[in-house]
Amino acid sequence: MENAILNNGENLDRNEYMIKASNLTKSFNNLLVFEDLNVKVKKGEVLVVIGASGSGKSTLLRCLNHLEELDSGTIIIEGEKLNPKDKKMLRKITTKMGMVFQNFNLFPHMTAIQNVMEAPLVVKKEKKSEVLQRAKQLLSKVGLVDKMDYYPSKLSGGQQQRVAIARALAMNPDIMLFDEPTSALDPELVGEVLNVMKDLAKEGMTMVVVTHEMGFAREVADRVIFMDGGKIVEEGTPEEVFSHPKEDRTKEFLNKVLK
Amino acid sequence: MNIGFIKDILPILLKGSVMTIELTVITLILGTMLGIFLALLKLSKNIVLKVLSSFYTWIFRGTPLLLQLFFFYYGLPFIGIELTPFTAAILGLGLNCGAYMAEIIRGGIQSINKGQFEAAKALGFSYVETMRKIILPQTWKIIIPPVGNEFISILKDTSLVSTIAMVELMRSAQQIYASSFDPISVFLTAAILYLIMTTVFTTVFGIFERRLAVYS
Repeated sequence: MENAILNNGENLDRNEYMIKASNLTKSFNNLLVFEDLNVKVKKGEVLVVIGASGSGKSTLLRCLNHLEELDSGTIIIEGEKLNPKDKKMLRKITTKMGMVFQNFNLFPHMTAIQNVMEAPLVVKKEKKSEVLQRAKQLLSKVGLVDKMDYYPSKLSGGQQQRVAIARALAMNPDIMLFDEPTSALDPELVGEVLNVMKDLAKEGMTMVVVTHEMGFAREVADRVIFMDGGKIVEEGTPEEVFSHPKEDRTKEFLNKVLK
Repeated sequence: MNIGFIKDILPILLKGSVMTIELTVITLILGTMLGIFLALLKLSKNIVLKVLSSFYTWIFRGTPLLLQLFFFYYGLPFIGIELTPFTAAILGLGLNCGAYMAEIIRGGIQSINKGQFEAAKALGFSYVETMRKIILPQTWKIIIPPVGNEFISILKDTSLVSTIAMVELMRSAQQIYASSFDPISVFLTAAILYLIMTTVFTTVFGIFERRLAVYS
């Protein structure tokens, strides 16, 4: 896994941006979600986006891999511009990004290992023996190789989310997007998922994480963005945002969530 | 009831039953393929395709199957299209079944969680790959009960093609009845044969349903 990450990025300058999103505007039926947002993510950086529900943070994440279509703005992934009209190119670029959803969205008719193997087999047409080997490695990485033949319905929420992470990693993405990955979990299951994410961050994976887990943000993030009402209100290192917030809205929000 | 008489007519009725099964199976295959196609049209974003599919189901669900069969067999020759009873029967039954299957399949696809489409999209699946590998396999499980119903309806509806000179179980029974004076024996025997066939169908569907229940 580590090799894959390094190899895929080797022609990139260390300082070059993996994600460069400029002037993003998005609305749902005339309801403006955000306007003129700019987000940049460097290689190996862990960007954590925090904010209240409805602040537009999930929508922002979903726009990055084109699950939602932008009204305007440009997104450049590893130097390639997303063109909504060019479906083939869009698929190629979005497969460089792995996505982990709040509700896991595992394929219920497939076992854990089938979930992990399906996309490399179908989308990349890789050899089955190679994919099987990689899938087993990934499942042992997230601590679930003994559960590989279980259907998702037989796994706990935390286990399902770990399979979902393995499934996303199976496509050898350069970037991982996490959309509130622990919000649907029972409190005692949050830790196991966060640990897997921490390991990924340590390995140098470029990550964008939308979360309510402030402890995780503080510990793992290189940079934190606080969003409110569709705007980036504050941005900085965890130390800057959590310990010395400049904006009143940030202080207010942190007061509420950190109690 | 005359056991000897029933023994005499049984081979004829069994032969009719074979045709009934043949008609049913071909109709189901045609209807299912057509149904998938129509359901996908109806769920597409293209308004023309949507309307086209709705129009189709409107026509074929909104008029009697018997009328459709008559149209294909007795009507089309007037514009120079002569169909054999078998072709007309398959055409009428298949097109009709397609309309019903389309509605069942559409409902099934729509009941699949939106997250499944999103997960597939995020992993790079194309539309066709998403449908084939992710959505339709889950749809089957959901729609098995209504599809089982539809299949049993079709099996019984094949009796309608007896009116367009197609010799299947119902027609065989009618022919024997017309030349004998024991309608009770003839129709009871035919009824039992229908019951055996529908029972086999129901059982097979029950097995499918249980087999697909493994992941729920």
